[in-house]
Amino acid sequence: MAEAEKFMGSDNVEDILTKIENKSLKIESLIKPYKPIEAIKTALEGYPPQDERCKFANWIGVRKALMAIKDVEGILRSLNPQYYDILMKYVYRGLSTGDRTTCDQCLKIHEKLTEKAGFGCILRSLTDTVNTI
Amino acid sequence: MASTLRLYLTCIRNTLEAAMCLQNFPCQEVERHNKPEVELKTSPELLLNPVLICRNEAEKCLIETSINSLRISLKVKQADELENILAKKFLRFLSMRAEAFQVLRRKPVQGYDISFLITNYHCEELQKQKLIDFIVQFMEMHSLKYFRRT
Repeated sequence: MAEAEKFMGSDNVEDILTKIENKSLKIESLIKPYKPIEAIKTALEGYPPQDERCKFANWIGVRKALMAIKDVEGILRSLNPQYYDILMKYVYRGLSTGDRTTCDQCLKIHEKLTEKAGFGCILRSLTDTVNTI
Repeated sequence: MASTLRLYLTCIRNTLEAAMCLQNFPCQEVERHNKPEVELKTSPELLLNPVLICRNEAEKCLIETSINSLRISLKVKQADELENILAKKFLRFLSMRAEAFQVLRRKPVQGYDISFLITNYHCEELQKQKLIDFIVQFMEMHSLKYFRRT
């Protein structure tokens, strides 16, 4: 899959990787002065392309934003409902890592997010095979 | 510690509530056959994304769903060698009597300690809520270090 993209023009993947890294830095810059809501919004914008490296780079940025959340309820209240589905997918990715701190945080977010968004949100993250993160 | 257990079990319960949407679906390849698609994995359109929920490095739960069946595989924490052996023996004892449990799988999935296989027939005969309660209680029982006599 990576080879096919390389044939199209290696700039394509590198371009996207650079964009994702810029996004990561932007997220970090938003976390430092304690603006987790903006950080989350930036992190959840758009789906990464199918390339594994892009997904991983994107995940690193999102993870930083997720770990910076202290008040889960507050964040979810101020977050636009259109981001709930994407957030749920990232939460499941976080849960699959197995790292204790990530899992703790993701379990907290999962509980509150399910209360807010309902079981439909979980089911959409299970069934969506097109927009994977 | 207890709070992560509660969150972990809530997460699994919610995921199972959402994932347990099973219906009868006869086999597409062979006529007059009805097989649990999650075990065969022949047709990708019948499978949902598998979900791995980890509490920490040692404990995890894999939930794989398909159109007519759902497979839940658990890995429980074992602190030391003795607990490892005890847990293995106990879970093997249960797996051998899988017939009596109906939803238990005779062999756990590779890399896990115990597996459940729930089909649409189970959902028709048994109540979905009670099935989920059973699985969550099973995990609670293990997490409370049932084996620890010290």
